[in-house]
Amino acid sequence: MSGLSLLLRAARAAFPAGARQLRTGGFRSAYAKELFLGKMWKEEVFPYPEISNEELEEINQFVGPVEKFFSEEVDSKKIDQDAKIPPETLKGLKNLGLFGMQIPEEYGGLGLSNTMYARLGEIISLDGSVAVTLAAHQAIGLKGILIAGTDEQKAKYLPKLASGEHIAAFCLTEPGSGSDAASIQTRATMSEDGKSFLLNGSKIWISNGGLADVFTVFARTEIVDNDGAKKDKITALIVERAFGGVTNGKPEDKLGIRGSNTCEVHFENTKVPVENVIGEVGGGFKVAMNILNSGRFSMGSASAGMIKKLIEMTAEYACTRKQFNKKLSDFGLIQEKFTLMAVKAYVMESMAYLTAGMMDRPGVPDCSVEAAMVKVFSSEGAWICVSEALQVLGGLGYMKDYPYERYLRDSRILLIFEGTNEILRMYIALTGMQYAGKILTGKIKEMKKGNVGVALEIFVNKFRDSMGRKVDLGLVGKDGVAHPSLEESSKKLEENIYYFGTTVEGLLRRFGKTIVDEQLVLKRVADVSVNLYAMTAAISRASRSISIGLRNHDHEVLLTNIFCTEAYFKNNYAMAELEKYAAENLDDSIKKVAQQVLEKRAYICSHPLERTF
Amino acid sequence: GEAQNRTQESEPSAGGWGGGRLRGAPPARRGGNSAALSRSELVPSAKGDKEKDRGFRDGSLVPFDELFERAHEGDRNKAAFNRAVEFFCQRDIRRRGHVEFINAALRKMPEFGVERDLDVYNKILDVFPKEVFVARNFIQRMFNHYPRQQECGIHVLEQMENYGIMPNKQTKFLLLQIFGDRSHPIRKYQRLMYWFPKFKHINPYPVPAALPRDPVDLARISLQRIAADLSAEVTVYQMPLTDISDAGKEITQPHIVGIQSPDQQELLARHNPARPVFVEGPFPLWLKKTCVYYYVLRGDPLPPEEKEEVIDSERNFYYPMHLDLDLDRDLWDDEEFYVDEVAEGPIFAMCMAGAGDQATLAKWILGLQQTNPILSQTPVVFHLTPGPRELQAASDSESGEEEIPQSWHMKQEL
Repeated sequence: MSGLSLLLRAARAAFPAGARQLRTGGFRSAYAKELFLGKMWKEEVFPYPEISNEELEEINQFVGPVEKFFSEEVDSKKIDQDAKIPPETLKGLKNLGLFGMQIPEEYGGLGLSNTMYARLGEIISLDGSVAVTLAAHQAIGLKGILIAGTDEQKAKYLPKLASGEHIAAFCLTEPGSGSDAASIQTRATMSEDGKSFLLNGSKIWISNGGLADVFTVFARTEIVDNDGAKKDKITALIVERAFGGVTNGKPEDKLGIRGSNTCEVHFENTKVPVENVIGEVGGGFKVAMNILNSGRFSMGSASAGMIKKLIEMTAEYACTRKQFNKKLSDFGLIQEKFTLMAVKAYVMESMAYLTAGMMDRPGVPDCSVEAAMVKVFSSEGAWICVSEALQVLGGLGYMKDYPYERYLRDSRILLIFEGTNEILRMYIALTGMQYAGKILTGKIKEMKKGNVGVALEIFVNKFRDSMGRKVDLGLVGKDGVAHPSLEESSKKLEENIYYFGTTVEGLLRRFGKTIVDEQLVLKRVADVSVNLYAMTAAISRASRSISIGLRNHDHEVLLTNIFCTEAYFKNNYAMAELEKYAAENLDDSIKKVAQQVLEKRAYICSHPLERTF
Repeated sequence: GEAQNRTQESEPSAGGWGGGRLRGAPPARRGGNSAALSRSELVPSAKGDKEKDRGFRDGSLVPFDELFERAHEGDRNKAAFNRAVEFFCQRDIRRRGHVEFINAALRKMPEFGVERDLDVYNKILDVFPKEVFVARNFIQRMFNHYPRQQECGIHVLEQMENYGIMPNKQTKFLLLQIFGDRSHPIRKYQRLMYWFPKFKHINPYPVPAALPRDPVDLARISLQRIAADLSAEVTVYQMPLTDISDAGKEITQPHIVGIQSPDQQELLARHNPARPVFVEGPFPLWLKKTCVYYYVLRGDPLPPEEKEEVIDSERNFYYPMHLDLDLDRDLWDDEEFYVDEVAEGPIFAMCMAGAGDQATLAKWILGLQQTNPILSQTPVVFHLTPGPRELQAASDSESGEEEIPQSWHMKQEL
């Protein structure tokens, strides 16, 4: 195994990452946010991001051994049954360098770009428990040190974390606090000499909590404001288990990802030196947000990897099992399921690598909205696909002897962790609304004030829309960036984007800043924007594939057209609903039902057999 | 089950009606005089028992009361009532004076405690002679056929309506047998059956049919009813107890039952201990015919500077809690009504006690201190009114409130 590791490191050395780091410029990425204005920032997403031949060769050098390791040495069934990853497997992962994928080489990591990290994520996701263990370690656990740590902190912690000698964990959640910073109870009190903090409190559901040696802990600290007032603020701390006073509960028994270690972690008078503060004292909130926002994009490729594997396994079954002298694969309803899986896998893959490519651009592009979109789309897609795959297999899929039920259980967590999809929808919609609102405020205010010019402009626009104007954002046609064979889909995307812009403007005019309370509206906004980004990614990728003549690009065109057509109708429906008032689009009724049920905390209808006389 | 029902349903109409018609005089022969004839049958005859029929001749409105008086030797109960009805039915095959008897029976029902008994109503309806009052042609149906009898039938149904008794199938068969289809009592029955089921569950906050006897249980359901919060927790601070002390003096320990929701606990925890909290009461609560009294622990309305809760911008790790926009909600989406809100202080807890004196209520406050430590640092002011004592004497003795504080504004700092 160490031989393999050497090989990997040698490969890493043979292909320096120079090409990656040489790019210049520093523009902020805002493709997803621009969608809220009805605009398409084509340069951001066309052409589809590519990596150089050297990088491709390099990543393929990694992929081979990792794939081999996962197919030969990771026994997912046993991990699931024993609820533990065996030490040899962990050792193998460490030897492959998978504990330091994104840690720069100078600290002993593999220094992978986001794109390459996404590529390895595809394989790692074949075992949910391993994927979560690795993600908890590096996507969130040590990410704080990586993005906000000082050079000393990096030098002290990253090498051991990269080699896997130390495992990291991210400690944010508390019994009374999920996303609410105000209810964090863990407290770090500055010692009298001002050289250290005393940490006290409990964290729950900490992935790797029982294995970790290094914790990123968020705790409340008292700080003095500029005006002298004392205030509690969140501070991020690096805590070593060796500091003492760190204990953990027994591993939680979970539905899925059973092999990953999740437990409570308690800190009792743990002495943490001030040098171990990540960022500044009282600046932990930003650190936490940045860590959470940066970790999500990889779920796209991971889900896609899992679905691709599932397609292989279920296709094998569908093409061999016979019923009524016909193969399962000859039945339309079975075929439909494979199409669905292929479409979803294609789109989430496209989104994941588009986002990774955008993140790999020089400067510090902020792709958090795009990453959240990838997470929402891929986690829900994965859940649907696994469920459909199970359906293809019928009763067999339900049996513990086969791996399908494990995939189903494992994939359920995707919709929950790293920010539940509901929370991320709020994030996507509100971030976009804030962006569009800043720009549109002036215009809307003018109109509300009764500025005839602005009102007339809006009226003329509305009139032209209603007369069936052709939207042209320059995706196809002369100087078009999408391939002509995708013209239909591109037109649909353009139309959707344009009308999404007008819808958002209408919503801002209607709700203003009170839109934060309109969660049903925001959900639709988020859904449309996720679809728009997904359509963009698919069209961009398919265009590139046709243009450079990748194998089976005609298949990609089919997938893209299927997805875009379906998404187009869904978007139109959602936007039509968004233009209505709450009484007409069922929102009022939905809220009322929920209110009545929740008031009684029960299903309140009389039993159908009940009678009154 | 269904088939059985159906046969039951069809039996009276086939057997009863048809048979009745055969037994009675043929309708054709009676012709147009039938009304007059049958009415004459009902005129009291001098040949009857002189004692019993005296009432009729005297023109007294309550000639049958004594029938009921005679029927109950022991208790006034359902059996006694039924005996009276049966006696009337057996006495005279023609059931002379049945309208008067039924009116008297209806009046007597509450006395015998059967005013909510459907069987008894059916038994009363059964007193009517069958078949005789059924309209036999459209002209009879058009005019008020046997108005007294029909009105009497309606009267029975009205009394059922007033007591909220829903007629059943038997009621319907009886009415059909007595008055026939499309008669006024049947119409009344149909209206009852239309509205009663609709109104049966109209009250979203139903009071149990029989209130618990135990004052602690009664306090529990009353408090849960006022609190209207499923998370609210009822605590019995003291069980009622009567004991004889060594000195031979009787000691009664009143019950104290309190309720507090987690939200109220939180409100109290945030209360500024420098400002007092108030124990106020008693306030009445009516549960059907029972009145109970409760006390509240409340604070003064919050001063404006404490009311505003500023949402920290660093509150939510995942998404912005408010947007930095200078745009307000448009008129069309503003679905809030203008509500003139009266500033009210928070209510921290409520209780019901067997006695309304300050010593008892102080025990409640002591009990609350266990779960609300801040209460031990907060001054508690007792604002107790002697209000319900007068009410008490006039209304109901059932409620557990006897002792009422003597002084108006007693103040005590705990």
